[in-house]
Amino acid sequence: MAGNIVVDELDRLIHERIRLGIVSALAANESLPFADLRDILGTTDGNLSVHARKLEDAGYVRVTKGFEDRKPRTEYSLTAKGRRAFEAYLGQMEQILSAAREALEKT
Amino acid sequence: MTLPTHDEREHAKETLDYIRRTMESASSFTAVAGSGMVGVGLIGLVAAGVASRLGNPVDLRVWVPAAVVAMVLAGAANARKASRMGVPLWSGAFRKTVWVMAPVLVSGAILTFALGRQGADALIPGMWLALYGAGVTAGGTLSIRAVRAMGLALTVLGAVALLQPEWGAPLLAAGFGVMHIIFGLLLLTRHGG
Repeated sequence: MAGNIVVDELDRLIHERIRLGIVSALAANESLPFADLRDILGTTDGNLSVHARKLEDAGYVRVTKGFEDRKPRTEYSLTAKGRRAFEAYLGQMEQILSAAREALEKT
Repeated sequence: MTLPTHDEREHAKETLDYIRRTMESASSFTAVAGSGMVGVGLIGLVAAGVASRLGNPVDLRVWVPAAVVAMVLAGAANARKASRMGVPLWSGAFRKTVWVMAPVLVSGAILTFALGRQGADALIPGMWLALYGAGVTAGGTLSIRAVRAMGLALTVLGAVALLQPEWGAPLLAAGFGVMHIIFGLLLLTRHGG
């Protein structure tokens, strides 16, 4: 089926909603602390941790751990690989829309 | 490229919209400068002190210029931070925040005029704090939890000032002064400056 071919081309890692949110938020910032990311995405600590770990394992996200006022602080940033993947994903989304637009113009 | 289905088109549109909203939300959030908030708090403290010394805690000759200076200072600090971080200042979320705050400020001005005409000046500090708190809480839905917490705290201070009008002056200093300073320091230390 034509539709499946288009969807199959997408980066599954970024395609998931929370992971897409993480990458989008980080694309707009040099880095973000864990608490900020959680608040921006309106998700739970556990959910964010699980998805951020998958992005980290894939090399899309860099995690920096440290301390601030003796409290642990986790900072996330997008790697060059992550930014390339995000841009490619954006390109695919735009491609889907422009293909649809072209088809509409032909009819 | 294979022709996308209707569902894929809709999904792509919705996904791009989600990405745009998330990026705007992340940008506007970090563009709030802690240094600006600390400055606003200091202006609030000075204004509350000067107005009290003049014998009228809501003296508009003090508060109107203070509000103008505070807005200019916060705007400049936000713009500097946004520029440093390479994010747009006038993002969708920031625009929405302005639209949330504008009716609150206009309502505050009208109520100040109305209460003043009725000789109910003692209720003005509570009204200012409660309205500002409501605006900050609503605007905070587009930002971090700390903003909403500050909005709620300001609303509570406003409620106390309405019930205990004789505490108006110190509560104005606490709300417009101390709370902004605390929030500004929180942004400075935990949210990128």
